[in-house]
Amino acid sequence: MSMMADLIGGFATALSLTNLMYALIGCVVGTAIGVLPGIGPVAGVALLIPLTLNLPPTSAIIMLAAIFYGSQYGGTITSVLLNTPGEAASAITTIDGYAMTKKGRAGAALTIAAVGSFVGGTVATIGLVAAAKPLGSLGLKIGPPEFFSLVILGLSLLVCLAGTSLTKALISGVLGLMIAMVGIDPVGGAPRFTFGNEFLLDGVSFVAAIVGLFGLSEILNTGTERPGRVKAPNLRALLPTREEWRRSRPAIGRGTVLGFLLGLIPGMTGSVSSLLSYGAEKRFAKHRDELGHGAVEGVAGPETANNAHANAALVPLFTLGIPASPTIAVLMGAFLQQGLTPGPSLFTDHADLAWGIIASLFIGNVILMVLNVPLVRVWTAILSIPPVVLTALILVFMVIGAYTINFSTFDLFVLVLFGLIGLAMRTFDIPLAPLVLTLVLGPLMERSLRESLEISQGDFSIFATRPICVVLLLIALAIACTPILRLRRRAKEPVQGGAR
Amino acid sequence: MKRRTLPVLAAAGLLATGLTSCANAVGGGSDDAAADWPRKGKPITLVVAFDAGGPADAAARQIAPVLEKKLGTTIEVENKTGAGGQVGYTAIANARPDGYTFGGTGSPSVVTAPLDPSRGAKFTRTSFRPLANQVIDPQVVAVRPGSPIKSIKDFIDEGKKHPGKLRVTTTGVQTGEHFALVDLQKKTGAKYGIVHFSEGSAQAMTAFLGKHVDVYVGSVSDLVSQAKQGDLVPIGVMDDKRSPFLPKVPTFKEAGIDITHTTIRGYSAPAGVPDAIAQKMEKALAEVIQDPAVVKKIKALGIEPRYMSGKDYAAYWKNQETTYKKLLPLTKEK
Repeated sequence: MSMMADLIGGFATALSLTNLMYALIGCVVGTAIGVLPGIGPVAGVALLIPLTLNLPPTSAIIMLAAIFYGSQYGGTITSVLLNTPGEAASAITTIDGYAMTKKGRAGAALTIAAVGSFVGGTVATIGLVAAAKPLGSLGLKIGPPEFFSLVILGLSLLVCLAGTSLTKALISGVLGLMIAMVGIDPVGGAPRFTFGNEFLLDGVSFVAAIVGLFGLSEILNTGTERPGRVKAPNLRALLPTREEWRRSRPAIGRGTVLGFLLGLIPGMTGSVSSLLSYGAEKRFAKHRDELGHGAVEGVAGPETANNAHANAALVPLFTLGIPASPTIAVLMGAFLQQGLTPGPSLFTDHADLAWGIIASLFIGNVILMVLNVPLVRVWTAILSIPPVVLTALILVFMVIGAYTINFSTFDLFVLVLFGLIGLAMRTFDIPLAPLVLTLVLGPLMERSLRESLEISQGDFSIFATRPICVVLLLIALAIACTPILRLRRRAKEPVQGGAR
Repeated sequence: MKRRTLPVLAAAGLLATGLTSCANAVGGGSDDAAADWPRKGKPITLVVAFDAGGPADAAARQIAPVLEKKLGTTIEVENKTGAGGQVGYTAIANARPDGYTFGGTGSPSVVTAPLDPSRGAKFTRTSFRPLANQVIDPQVVAVRPGSPIKSIKDFIDEGKKHPGKLRVTTTGVQTGEHFALVDLQKKTGAKYGIVHFSEGSAQAMTAFLGKHVDVYVGSVSDLVSQAKQGDLVPIGVMDDKRSPFLPKVPTFKEAGIDITHTTIRGYSAPAGVPDAIAQKMEKALAEVIQDPAVVKKIKALGIEPRYMSGKDYAAYWKNQETTYKKLLPLTKEK
């Protein structure tokens, strides 16, 4: 009961005019950071911390948190409209988001992404309020062996991302794993496939690779023709149709659950959530065959998942004082610089502040939706720019985006190389999504496998003796086997048909 | 379509090169006599080899505005990240030694990178001119509350009695924790099951709190929060004196084990910077690093400020290099 009172007190703090203003500024700045390629949430929040040092702690944190989840939404806009992910977690949205733009449904895609983000973020925040403590300890149950099993489960979704051919999906997936191998061996410490180039010691820059694979290759593939057909949409086209709403609902639900659960686990990034959500849609959505050709589920699911993830990732910070992701680590730095120690003591020592921040998460999610649904109109107006200019602009965006990741020209080569790889893959009809999946999950898989084996001293039975591992691995096996079973069934069908 | 693609590409290329070269603009200019340094209006670049928001970046961004006032010119903080600091360190070492570029140098990373030839580092210790040290963050060993291990002695005894049984964290291969542990094993004869969490301290802490490993080894700043909550119990600090954040926790030296393993972060210019300029930089940094407002903010981050002059910093660096060189083969043993 007292918790309810605390939360109401928190709303009183968060709804004060100044704090509301800072939340609004944060949402706007965050959206802008998400829209600009290259400046991701981490760099964005970090660069703005010094500006907040003179604000009262509550206002400062409210604003920085708003920037953080605002950027999660902003990344969607460029993914959908320009086929260029503003940040890593929105990479997978480009597939169906941009396909929707080509069909003239850009407005609907953005509106649904905004609503999905709102639902995901709000549900995750309710989880944070209602059950932070047990959820925090749930995250701790996931040790390296469980983490590994979870990654394997994620990888099993690769079979769902296969388009027409499982072989081609595997080619794409293995290519991703090979690229993920580049860089310093996380356990042995030896550089792998770096050719003596220190820019490769950290591996291939993910954002540059993704922008090249999706964005640049699309431009190379179709030149300037493609956005030309898109007329500036009228208001009716901005709004999702009833059918689109109906199809989005289950996707938003799945995305919320997936993003929320993965967000609780320190070390899982938002891009894992959005990728797995896409995989789940490919597997479970009613119209799964349409995914990849502008299905609304392919936008609703991942965009919901990454916002649920972003909000759930605050649970380990509030309950354990552990920053679950690089962005949260930066946010934790902001707490510290304000003289606050994140963790359970925050609720006893600075209760009004802690509840004020939580209340502001609810408010921030509302602000984001209220802000972004009308703005969809403004964003889609970008599409009325003449195609020649627009394509040039997109190219500029990509180059700057790739460059500003590390301020290194090396990433420009990565961009171009991956643009060519993407072009080759499109030419041979090899799907891009499996490559992204393995590129994201590969390093996590390697790291957690080797950590597990260090814990067990090389004994693989560690994966068979822990209940959570066994369950996760069995689910993975089931998912991986379905297409094989389906193929066998299909092989039998004509026989049955003939008998009838 | 073909005809239209070309102008598009040309336009994009022009725009892109224009914008990127603006972002790149670092003044060349003629060599100035030390007397004019720093010239008004000519910015000084402060290279940070780690991501914005991390402890190295936070420390640099605290001193930058104060240093600006002191020197009367702008300081531009530039994050050149990658390869565990190696990319940024290379940028500092290769910069023109005119006093307009200097950067944050942190050990063990700046010390260890050139020791391993397979990393292809293009700098050594002598590529830098150390100017001042700002902070120190010692390694600390911690256990869970209720653990049978209650002291440094218990920890060593357990490592001797059941060699390799105790699971102990590091934040990756050849990190400060890893060097500290192999040094401890060498000096005491104990043996631990070392688990490397290459993603860093958050990952190691999660596994530790979730009881997947037994002992947490990390920097003081990484566990002050959990120690305050009572989620873990620090048992020993690897510094010459106790940490102001953990005043009740003894040092390994107090327990009779001569071991010091710390992360220190300071600032260095490229070697070859004229003495007169270097001395001006050292003097300005000495004042800024010891500025009470700066010290207070650094402490708020849970990091211990410890100023060292350029000379002392250079000596500490050299000393660490000797230690790490000796320990390097041990970090490669399985």
